Amino acid sequence: MAGAPTTKRDAASGSAAGWLDERTRLGPLLSASLHVRIPMSARTYYFGGIALFLFGIQVVTGTLLSLYFKPTPEAAYGSVQFITSDVSFGWLIRSLHHWTANLMILFVFLHLGRVFLQAAYKYPRELTWVVGMLLFAVTLGFGFTGYLLPWDQRAYWATVVGTEIAGGVPGIGEPLLLLLRAGTEVTGDTMSRFFGIHVLVLPLALGALLGVHLLLVHQLGLANPKRAQSRATEAPDDERLRPFFPNYILDELVAWYVLLAVLVVLASLFPAGLEEQANALQTPAHIKPEWYYLGVYELLKLVPRVIGILTPVVGIGLLVVWPFLDRSPEVLPRRRKLVVGVATLVVIGLVGLTVIGYAS
Amino acid sequence: METEPVLSDAGEPRSEAPAPPSSDVRSRRQVLRWLGGLTLFSSIAMILTPVVGFLVPPKGGRAAGGGKILVGTTADIPPGGGAVVAMGSKPAIIVNTDQGVKAFSAICTHLGCVVAWNDMVGVIQCPCHDGRFDPNSGAVVSGPPPAPLPPLTVSVEGDQIFLTEA
Repeated sequence: MAGAPTTKRDAASGSAAGWLDERTRLGPLLSASLHVRIPMSARTYYFGGIALFLFGIQVVTGTLLSLYFKPTPEAAYGSVQFITSDVSFGWLIRSLHHWTANLMILFVFLHLGRVFLQAAYKYPRELTWVVGMLLFAVTLGFGFTGYLLPWDQRAYWATVVGTEIAGGVPGIGEPLLLLLRAGTEVTGDTMSRFFGIHVLVLPLALGALLGVHLLLVHQLGLANPKRAQSRATEAPDDERLRPFFPNYILDELVAWYVLLAVLVVLASLFPAGLEEQANALQTPAHIKPEWYYLGVYELLKLVPRVIGILTPVVGIGLLVVWPFLDRSPEVLPRRRKLVVGVATLVVIGLVGLTVIGYAS
Repeated sequence: METEPVLSDAGEPRSEAPAPPSSDVRSRRQVLRWLGGLTLFSSIAMILTPVVGFLVPPKGGRAAGGGKILVGTTADIPPGGGAVVAMGSKPAIIVNTDQGVKAFSAICTHLGCVVAWNDMVGVIQCPCHDGRFDPNSGAVVSGPPPAPLPPLTVSVEGDQIFLTEA
């Protein structure tokens, strides 16, 4: 990971890059970031990079939407209608924001699954995993807070149910509910709070956590999925390597282009909908949350309320501290049959509950 | 990750002495460079088109819905009187003249201030630069306004005064 030689040659050549480097001195930093080598055997499937790309799309589309969106119960619904039907490309920007949110959660899930399966959370990457889990929580928070903003029936009642679930956590439920709703009911105060969290608190938190996550990935390098990293400082390593830039980056760019095309197709064929304006006096029939909360929602139908609420809380808590519990140095899935087996069962259970919830 | 590299930066095995590129390789590189530039340009255009289009506010907005708007009664605006009323999001001025009830846009054609009825002088007057308009025709009587006030369609039904939006 040594930095490349200084870029005096570029400066001397009079290129734009040389001109800029003379005035910023960022060349060595950029070289140190890009000119690293990664194990030939590393298989990331580009999930993390894709999640990063999708976050970038959310920043752009979200900023654009905020230029027209009015975060009050009286005006929010009308402003979303206005964006969708009157503003040029408004339907596209809104639908892209909607679909990117869904795909971002999907790819964060996939990234988490890949890291878990390859045991990339083990020494020395435990903190990278913990920060990654916080990023996962922030991503879910984006979905939850953004959902209310159109202020239609689905948004309103999904938020009522969602905050009610949070309010059921033993011990801290009641104050948590008041904190989330900014009162006892879902009102305009809730919308102000959710809007502030969605456009200010969570982006700042995600930006900071992402910085730490990427820094750790850069410093520690990609994990070898075939062999555990030795704790010895001078361990011999005959792993074949390949350049991160341009080889890996080029593959990543291709994946981003494909995703962008998929997003535009999804946004065009299945644009984000809008139900009737929120009515606090009438819960619509068959109200359901978004797919990523559907498993928990369905679980609450099948088990007592406390168990249904505590199961995901304990599950996520367990995942956060998992690198400190799983001390085995094995990384190959075939030698971690118990862990991989239980995780597979959990995923099958979650997918099953989601499918049942979707069909019911 | 500090181990000895076995590959060149291009990911190919290192050769002993790099030979100068042949003209075939050079033209291939030129084509690739051209394709890369085209990709970059079209990508930027593809992203900027909706972004810039989105930033341009739609014409008119939702306020202009059309139709008749009740703006007052002849009791509110007696003969010789006048008042500024709201027509959607824009101001209009109604004057009850000896030739009937007249209505104009209340936005001064000089610099956009809202005009008012001056019943002492019997003219529509702009408070900013003292531009004055004829209450019957909207024509400029004196002052700097470059054009008359645009007339609006007004109707009186019974004692109710209506403006019709375009």
